[in-house]
Amino acid sequence: MAENRNVILSAKDVEVKFRVRDNYLTAIRNVSLDLFEGETFAIVGESGSGKSVFTKTFTGMLESNGVVSNGSVMFHGKDLTKLKTDKDWEGIRGAKISTIFQDPMTSLNPIRTIGSQITEVIEKHQGVSKTEAKAQAIELMERVGIQNAADRFDEYPFQYSGGMRQRIVIAIALSCHPEILICDEPTTALDVTIQAQIIGLIRDLQKELKFTTLYITHDLGVVANVANRVGVMYGGQIIEYGTVEEVFFDSRHPYTWALLSSLPQLGVKGQDLYYITGTPPSLYNEIKGDAFAPRNEHALKIDFEQEPPFFKVSDTHYAKTWLLDPRAPKLEKPEIIRDLHEKIKMMTDKGGAFHVE
Amino acid sequence: MKKGYIWNRLLRSVISILIIMLIVFTMVYTLVPRDNIFFEDSTYRKLGGKSDDKTEYVYSTWEKLGYLDYVRINDYCLTLYEAGSPEMSRAIEPDSQESQDFAALYTSRGYTVENFLISGRYYAYKDVPVIKRMASWLAHLIVIDTPWSVQDPGNPDLHRGLSFGRTPSGGVALIGSGTTHKYLLYTDSIFPWIHQNIIKLNFGTSYPTYQGLDVLTVLFQSQGTEVKRPVTFETGYEAESGIIFGSLKYKSILDRMDRKKFVDNYATFESRRNQPSMIGTSFIMGIFAMVLAYALGLPFGVLMARRKDKLADKLGMMYIIFIIAVPSLAYIYLFRYIGTTLFNLPSVFTTYGPEDVRSWILPIISLSLPSIASLMLWTRRYVVDQMNSDYVKFAKAKGLNQREIFNNHIFKNAIIPIAQGIPASLAGCITGAIITEAIYSVGGMGKMLPSAINQYNNVMIVALAFMFSTVSVLSVLAGDIVLTKVDPRISLSEKAGRS
Amino acid sequence: MNTENSNLFEFAEFDELESEHIAAPRYSYWKSVWKTFFKNKFTVVVAILLIFIITFALIQPTRSGYSPTDTPNINNASMKFLKPSRDHIFGTDHVGNEVFDAVWAGARNSIIISFVCTAINMLVGIPVGALWGFSKKMDKWMIEVYNIISNIPFLLLAMILSYVLGAGMKSLIITMTCTEWIFVAYFIRTQVMIIRDREYNMASKCLGTGTWTMIVKNILPYLISVIMTYVSRQIPSLISYEVFLSYMGLGLGTTNASLGQSISLYTSYMNGYPHLFWIPVSVLAIISISLYIVGQKLADAADPRTHM
Repeated sequence: MAENRNVILSAKDVEVKFRVRDNYLTAIRNVSLDLFEGETFAIVGESGSGKSVFTKTFTGMLESNGVVSNGSVMFHGKDLTKLKTDKDWEGIRGAKISTIFQDPMTSLNPIRTIGSQITEVIEKHQGVSKTEAKAQAIELMERVGIQNAADRFDEYPFQYSGGMRQRIVIAIALSCHPEILICDEPTTALDVTIQAQIIGLIRDLQKELKFTTLYITHDLGVVANVANRVGVMYGGQIIEYGTVEEVFFDSRHPYTWALLSSLPQLGVKGQDLYYITGTPPSLYNEIKGDAFAPRNEHALKIDFEQEPPFFKVSDTHYAKTWLLDPRAPKLEKPEIIRDLHEKIKMMTDKGGAFHVE
Repeated sequence: MKKGYIWNRLLRSVISILIIMLIVFTMVYTLVPRDNIFFEDSTYRKLGGKSDDKTEYVYSTWEKLGYLDYVRINDYCLTLYEAGSPEMSRAIEPDSQESQDFAALYTSRGYTVENFLISGRYYAYKDVPVIKRMASWLAHLIVIDTPWSVQDPGNPDLHRGLSFGRTPSGGVALIGSGTTHKYLLYTDSIFPWIHQNIIKLNFGTSYPTYQGLDVLTVLFQSQGTEVKRPVTFETGYEAESGIIFGSLKYKSILDRMDRKKFVDNYATFESRRNQPSMIGTSFIMGIFAMVLAYALGLPFGVLMARRKDKLADKLGMMYIIFIIAVPSLAYIYLFRYIGTTLFNLPSVFTTYGPEDVRSWILPIISLSLPSIASLMLWTRRYVVDQMNSDYVKFAKAKGLNQREIFNNHIFKNAIIPIAQGIPASLAGCITGAIITEAIYSVGGMGKMLPSAINQYNNVMIVALAFMFSTVSVLSVLAGDIVLTKVDPRISLSEKAGRS
Repeated sequence: MNTENSNLFEFAEFDELESEHIAAPRYSYWKSVWKTFFKNKFTVVVAILLIFIITFALIQPTRSGYSPTDTPNINNASMKFLKPSRDHIFGTDHVGNEVFDAVWAGARNSIIISFVCTAINMLVGIPVGALWGFSKKMDKWMIEVYNIISNIPFLLLAMILSYVLGAGMKSLIITMTCTEWIFVAYFIRTQVMIIRDREYNMASKCLGTGTWTMIVKNILPYLISVIMTYVSRQIPSLISYEVFLSYMGLGLGTTNASLGQSISLYTSYMNGYPHLFWIPVSVLAIISISLYIVGQKLADAADPRTHM
């Protein structure tokens, strides 16, 4: 649980559009989110749900054909959506808000030494001398678990393994003590064994350096392991959010149900695995009602007509589904995830890793 | 960098060169009609219509040039009788027994036996196979000067040995006696200041143009009028001369002037002239043009990439399209027109000569125009590719601004393929620019190959082909080595070959 | 609570088919190619100009019957060196012939030669290159052959061939194709190697797609854009070569009309009668630039990534 309930970043009614082949695609449709200081928030969802795009608005890293057409992202009194030039972003990107990306192989410049890629950030944001920067860099490298950091300072990325490269990427991202660290699928490109190490590393560093972490992932296992709160995205919107316990064990949106039901570990031997039929909606067209309706077995007629508002489940738990409307019929969670708590306990007691994919 | 790999590449380069030379030899010596070589030969023309002298000249020239092996009845008879004896005079007549033996002998050896038109005497010839021709060329390619190089029947007691000393112009030298060159190693004030005459390349003598001159001399010797300065010869004789002492070579028969100047038989020399050699001229022009091209092409290319699709990019593309699409002939003339009318610069190199800077300006800029376009195009492409890569996105997320990303990341990556091309550009400087030199009447390498071909100067063609292919093949190897220096990811042992 | 509302809160019928509906906008490759090409008004104008020029160049010389050896006015001094006027659109040259006729006849030869040579180079080079790219065994020895051929100085080759075969169209075509095809093949080989190992091809293979279908549907569309870029540069460059060779005294020879020949002849008159030089040069420039622009734009349009 977050210690401090200060809101460090507040996104309100953000809408992002992309121009593709003469058509406009609305990738983010009216999303609001408050990030609290010191917490770990995870955004989960399918590919194409808009997870990465949303966080790119925090650092001004949208593609050239994308634009924030509505809404605001308030950070330290500034609206980040209004910042346009490099100069505007000076001191925020890399310094206060850092990002690490999915593929450590391509995140680093292959023809420059590892050390120089760390020190350039330090020198830029802190204005210290070369020697001072190098000393800080080596210390950072050791902290993220690189052996013989001083010797390896002058090596090139191709001389490092994938896991080590990701550690360096983390070191670079944290070199200037940012307030928010955005991790965009940081473990997807890594081996399963390394994944756990990297996640653990980020968690330990967060305890030590006290930053806020924003995870983007489709890996529910990661969420279960490190997140305080989680938001589920579908069709360019956050359709449910709350604490991890609430969303896992007391989910209310049919999509969340479907997502959780898809965990292969919940499969019963001899029976078909559960899967969600269909594909996510095309965001070129205006979406009427609930975006998940066409694929929703439990859809109400109104789901096809009107977009549901957020309904409160608890102070921390909200879901955007008409099922929570008092007029709606009462519906139990699907059988398969009803005793998720027990099932998870059984799995972890048996020593099975609660890991998806 | 594995040493083994470099040797391997060198070996393959040598084989490539050999194969190219074989193809060139075949083309030149078998595909070009052999009669054509006499077109530009004044001696041939003077010999007039059909006569024995003409036949003799034709065949002995062909033999000299290596086309065939040529034997006359006289040569055969010299093995039997004394020159000038009455037996000789009888034996060389077509009805003699010796003539029949001659015919039979050489026919059995595969020669074609024919008779001179007027005297009827016999002669025989046989074509030299191309491979043998080439092997012989290769064998004579490298000449090493030793104290036994000079074999002069008129000077049987020639002292043979080496010693250290000084040249009359003040440099230190390794002096040889019995060597073709007097000074085997010496220093003087001409670039590159230390010279050697021990190992030299021998491409043969030029024919029919520049007749009798060694090919390398033609290409490397400075042109123009002699530059005289006061000089004291070893004999104490003082005069105004452009002599280059280091070039002294053995001369078997000395005349009065030679004895005045020289204490020994080394009396053939080259003189300093006021114009650079053909190779020198082309090279100087090429280097300056190349520097200009890189100095303008790279920054403009980067500018175009950064302002992609904006005005600077569009203007740059217009220039590139113009240069690529319009034949160089056209735009060089256009450029010259602008240069001469607006800036009053000379329209040909020879107006003011190579000593005047103004002669060089237009040719150098003209020469650089296409390279600038090419560099702009490629630089732009490499930079744009880099701009779209993941590590640039990460660098941006790190907080670096555009300028920093460009200077510290993009440029370094984009320059790699460009660096690989530098040796090839350098190689281009040596081969000369045919059109530019033709338009501006520059006495450089550019016109050598076309004119050598026009004049059927086979010796020169072969020599030039060798030089160009060697330079070209080695520049590729050099480019790959440069690549490994600039790109830490690449080590030569992994590269399987040029790709 | 009215019935309308309570109806809305009933469960809807779940239509599995509806959930599979893919609503992305329709995309047709070739339609997009043309659409992208025609979007740029400037390119369309240039393309129309080019078509007009090529047609004119092909037809006009037949109607005028021009030949450089045909000089009816050679002894008529009043017909020589006339400046461009209403009667003589481009003026007349040193032998009294119409520059207009000479230029268009030369242009026709240049166009024909460059198109024919490009076609030959492509017809030979593309299949060889494609095979070369696919077959690792072939690559081993082919690359040595390539190294050797690419190092022969082109000028040397051109000139020798010219002398051996004599001047004229046929020998010029042979000269310009005998080594060029291998550069095309090498280029194609590199491209094929790049995409042969791309995952979408491996996926196709796993799905059991036949080799021929793979080549036609997977590889060829990608290659088209790349080939067109190459062609758009080849044609002007071959025209350049022809001009260059003619200028050097080789090429088409004196019996055929040729822009290069004209330019080289008229150079000596540049000071006195500049129109003689500048007119063929301008015509040449316009043809080359138009060919290049149209080719490039077509190549860009064929690249699906530009179909924004």
